[in-house]
Amino acid sequence: MKKLRYFIIIILLFVSLVGCAETKILERIGVTTLVGYDLGDDEMVDTTAIIRQVSPEFQSRVEIITTKDKTSKGTRIKANLRSSKKIQIGQMRIVLFGDDVAKDGLRYYTETLLENPAVSNSLFMAVVEGRTQPLLEYKYENIEDIGQHIFKLVEQNITNEHLISSTLHEVAHDYDSIGMDMSMPILKRDKEVIAITDVALFKRDKMVGKLSVNDSFYLKLVRNNFQSGMLETVLTKDDLTSSLMKNSPDGIPLVFDTVRTVRDVKLINQKTPEFDLHIKMNARLLEIKSDINTGDPKQIAALEKAIKKNLTREISRVIAYCQEVDSDVFGFGEVYRSSVRNSNLTHEKWHEMYKEMKVNVKIDFTIIRNGIFE
Amino acid sequence: MKNPLQLSPKDTINAFLLFFVIHSSQVGVGIHGFQRFVYHDAKHDAWISVLLIGIVSHIIVIFMIKTLEMYDSNDLYGIHQDVFGKWIGNFLNGIYILYCSTAFFAVLRNYMEVINAWVFPNLNPWFLSATLLLIVMYAFLSGLRVIVGIAFFSVVFSFWLYPLLIFPLEFSSSSSFYPILESDIISILKGAQSMTFTIIGFEILNVIYPFVKDKENVKKHVHLGLLATTVIYLAIILVSLAYYSEGELARTIWATLTLFSIVRFPFIERFEFIAINFWMLIIIPNLCLYIWAAYRGTIRLVKISAKKFVWIFSIIIFIFTIVIQTRTQINMINTQFGKVAFYIVFVYPIFLYVVAALKKKLTSQKEQKE
Amino acid sequence: MFKNKFKLSLSKKQSKVESDRDGNEPKENMIPSATNSFIQAIKDATHNPSDLIVKSIPPNLTLIFIENLVDERTLNDHILNDLYKKPSESPELMKSLLSIPLLNISNLLDDALSSMMTGTVIIHIDGYSQVVLANIATRETRSLSAPENESQVIGSQVGFNESLSTNVSLVRRYIMNPDLCIEKTKIGKRTNTSVSLLFMKGIASEEMVNTLRQRINSIDIDAIIDSAALAEMIDDNSLSIFPQMLLTERTDKFCDGLMNGKLGVLVDGSSMAIICPQSFIEFFQSREDQNLRWQIASFLRILRFSAIFLSVYLTPLYVAALTFHYEVIPQAFLVPLSESRALVPFPPVFEALLLEFIIELLREAGARLPTKIGQTIGIVGGIVIGTAAVQAGITSNILIIIIALSALASFTSPSYMMGNVIRIIRFPIIILAGFWGFYGIMLAFCFILIHLLRQSSLGTPYTAPFYPPRLKDWRDSIIRAPFSYTSKRPTSSRPVDDEKSNPEPVNPEKS
Repeated sequence: MKKLRYFIIIILLFVSLVGCAETKILERIGVTTLVGYDLGDDEMVDTTAIIRQVSPEFQSRVEIITTKDKTSKGTRIKANLRSSKKIQIGQMRIVLFGDDVAKDGLRYYTETLLENPAVSNSLFMAVVEGRTQPLLEYKYENIEDIGQHIFKLVEQNITNEHLISSTLHEVAHDYDSIGMDMSMPILKRDKEVIAITDVALFKRDKMVGKLSVNDSFYLKLVRNNFQSGMLETVLTKDDLTSSLMKNSPDGIPLVFDTVRTVRDVKLINQKTPEFDLHIKMNARLLEIKSDINTGDPKQIAALEKAIKKNLTREISRVIAYCQEVDSDVFGFGEVYRSSVRNSNLTHEKWHEMYKEMKVNVKIDFTIIRNGIFE
Repeated sequence: MKNPLQLSPKDTINAFLLFFVIHSSQVGVGIHGFQRFVYHDAKHDAWISVLLIGIVSHIIVIFMIKTLEMYDSNDLYGIHQDVFGKWIGNFLNGIYILYCSTAFFAVLRNYMEVINAWVFPNLNPWFLSATLLLIVMYAFLSGLRVIVGIAFFSVVFSFWLYPLLIFPLEFSSSSSFYPILESDIISILKGAQSMTFTIIGFEILNVIYPFVKDKENVKKHVHLGLLATTVIYLAIILVSLAYYSEGELARTIWATLTLFSIVRFPFIERFEFIAINFWMLIIIPNLCLYIWAAYRGTIRLVKISAKKFVWIFSIIIFIFTIVIQTRTQINMINTQFGKVAFYIVFVYPIFLYVVAALKKKLTSQKEQKE
Repeated sequence: MFKNKFKLSLSKKQSKVESDRDGNEPKENMIPSATNSFIQAIKDATHNPSDLIVKSIPPNLTLIFIENLVDERTLNDHILNDLYKKPSESPELMKSLLSIPLLNISNLLDDALSSMMTGTVIIHIDGYSQVVLANIATRETRSLSAPENESQVIGSQVGFNESLSTNVSLVRRYIMNPDLCIEKTKIGKRTNTSVSLLFMKGIASEEMVNTLRQRINSIDIDAIIDSAALAEMIDDNSLSIFPQMLLTERTDKFCDGLMNGKLGVLVDGSSMAIICPQSFIEFFQSREDQNLRWQIASFLRILRFSAIFLSVYLTPLYVAALTFHYEVIPQAFLVPLSESRALVPFPPVFEALLLEFIIELLREAGARLPTKIGQTIGIVGGIVIGTAAVQAGITSNILIIIIALSALASFTSPSYMMGNVIRIIRFPIIILAGFWGFYGIMLAFCFILIHLLRQSSLGTPYTAPFYPPRLKDWRDSIIRAPFSYTSKRPTSSRPVDDEKSNPEPVNPEKS
């Protein structure tokens, strides 16, 4: 036993001298928080990386490095040549794609990201209108760390349920799923502000169309159950009954929030295919630009009816648009696959059917409360 | 009955602890990424396969216990020698020792591969192998009580990992399970078979049985241990099916570990880095039990001290872990080992039971005649 | 192994000395009957020290004693007075004459010598080869005081002191029961230290008593100055860093142990008592837990256990995360962490070791210095060095918080011995974390786990009651269940009688 112990100690010493792991000491690495991809010339990839560095001279600094190469990893090697610190991507929070890349297909990018164990599955993905490089390199007056800023911007809007979540996992999930397509927010620089303006619609990995942010609410309504959220809509003449129309000839703009929905999709006809979309929706009326008495049950009932009508029309419009661009962001294909036995669904087969698809929208809308003043 | 084991009461363990022994010997490296193999065969009915293999394991254990009960206080090695005679029995013992050693190797090598692929790409594999082997040696030389103790603490300390499966549920949808039973029976059975590598481990019962103090409680605790494993596997496959889409699941190598990467706390992110390293605690009892089982067999064949055995064994394993380096080699070993293990763990016990029962009948008839 | 060898060489030496003595002067052990030769024999044996008093009382008596060991008043009032009045003829007569409780007659020189060393007056009558030994030892001890190293808020405030007889009487005052057995032996070939083994007959397991008795008796050493050394010698594994027997200066804790079927050892001259068997978890249980309401006691216990865990693993986790696993750091921490480290020229592992070293220095200096200066040094050193180190850019301020927190946490351990262990095992874990990140930490964790599983305390498992699982004892482990649920004694000390109390509620209306 005694001998054994010494032997073990010697082995351990030996091992500790030889087998050291590669260190990644926090302040000695360049922490990439954001990467933007653009399509360059000759099938090259233009990569813009936001790298946070710390050093004794300046406490913390954000550096923007743009490189060009054939592969994304190649651009990282090149970026390392320009950086005083080793670039690591384990803290990457968001990846941006220029719209040319998005239209070209994201498959290659998502796959390299998935393959790399250092990359988190919960990083966000977004599309930039135009190229990412100018958006990132612009010197904003009020934004200190642009990587952090964009991440917070997207995260905030997704957790508040304004947008469809577009984490790497969900993007990969939708890409590999037969009956579902992905969607991502579109960012745009507007002078000194970066804003989410639209929502990109994808067919598999290629961007095929976009919807306005307001429309993305309907998209989300059809795709998921809501826990909270906010919507502004304008009730137009078609929706309103004459009793409500009296004082507002051009329509009634209204906002409701803390929306809770339960969505139920049923396949009722396999051949065409035809779906029954039933959405139960509870909401709080937040603001209404009209002199409707919200204390009057009759008027509320009329209002509910009007909103129902309005929502049904809007949802049908959004579905029709998505069918037109051939992007099944709602996941109707998933419903089809899970309800039809031995469907042997493939992407091609589904997208052929998708164009012919019919959706009967049915909405139950209840205003559960308004504010604390009637 | 030949070769019954002579055991002092100090070496024996409570039947209650068999729960932890069985459970911890089953949960090991297979759990990291069994989903894609099952999914490959059974598609979204994979959970039925998992349930099925869980039930089958219960049935197999019934046969195992019946065989062991015939001999009261003897392990598989002794039963082999008794049933098949010295030569064939020892040959079968040799195969079983080889099986245990291969299982040991497979667990060790797969865990090293995960560490290398995920956490430390540049760390020398031989360093990982040496450190893990040293820990295992330290535990092994402390005797069965300590090994069972590690199994106990490994189960208790790692229990908090399972509730974390709630995190991925946020991104899950139940539509992935439908339509239920779309795959045919053959593919579901195939899927169940591909679970072999993940669910084996309970065959340790063959060797540990004589060490149990209160044999009347063995059944209860072994079945509870198996049930716990089945429930955990079932939970993991259900969460995985709901969390991943079809194509994604088929291509994710370590789906369980990837599940952990979505876990996020205010003070820690990327939880899989913790989980992977923490998995060492789950691996160690696995390794200890296999090396112990191999040792129990080896001393039936040759007289060798535990210390000598563990050194020789570790050095051989160490060399193998360094020689086998690439992912393809490891995958090949996993599949081949899984195939062989299926026959050893799921088919052979029934055969052994039949033979042992026949032999017992014959001998008792003989005795009656005499 | 090491222990055995040590013992072996020691006993060899000893036996050599003994055989020499036996060979040369075989009759030396008998007391000479002539006064002069008796005095000479005593003087030879004691090397004629200056405090050896030889007093003759005419016509035939000689008193020999050591000056400061005997009580002078008793000597005057009860011995000298009586002897001057009625000179005795024989030792037997004298024994009946003297009004002193502890009187003995002996004819062995060794006996007389050893009892003289404990405060006995030797009375020799010319012509007799027997002496009367009158024990009138002074009890000069520190007065009883509160246990300083193990203070508690609620509960008794009396601790052991350095006198064995005082300590035994303290225990007797808690447990007024004839079943309290006290066995006295002498250990230390040269110091002749009294060691008492205490246990409750009818509760403590006989087998364990035998084991411990046998272990104490087989100790072959020339000096035992303190019980801590004795504890290390009778430990199951004296090579382990973890103590397997509890050292306490609290009388109530000691008595509590005895009443739970444990065995106690008291050593003369030491204010620390030994309790065994003791499981790992019991080192973190305070006696005070019994005095508080069970909810509060349970909370404090959980707090203590998490403190221990933090103390051991917090710094290594910091080192590992900053050196290898920057991915796990949440984004909110990323900037403050890296900015605080921006000026530090060392890798995190070195930085952490340096700070841990400074903290240990401060602690050690504080322990060595007189109390008043010690406190000042602690505050000055802590604040000055802490702030200066951060400003000079040697360490990051976040690490200072972490190190201070883990040092603080390590002091929550009720046992000082265990607290030391907690602080020391941090160092190798920090080094492992600095080399191999989380993997290194897990290596250390597994190693410590296996090591703990291997240990035993007086033959009982060290990890009890968790492993082997004794579910009933879990009620008084990490939590303290209400007394009505803990009516049985813990099984780890294998008590003969495990009923502690009647679980029926005292107040019948309540149920």
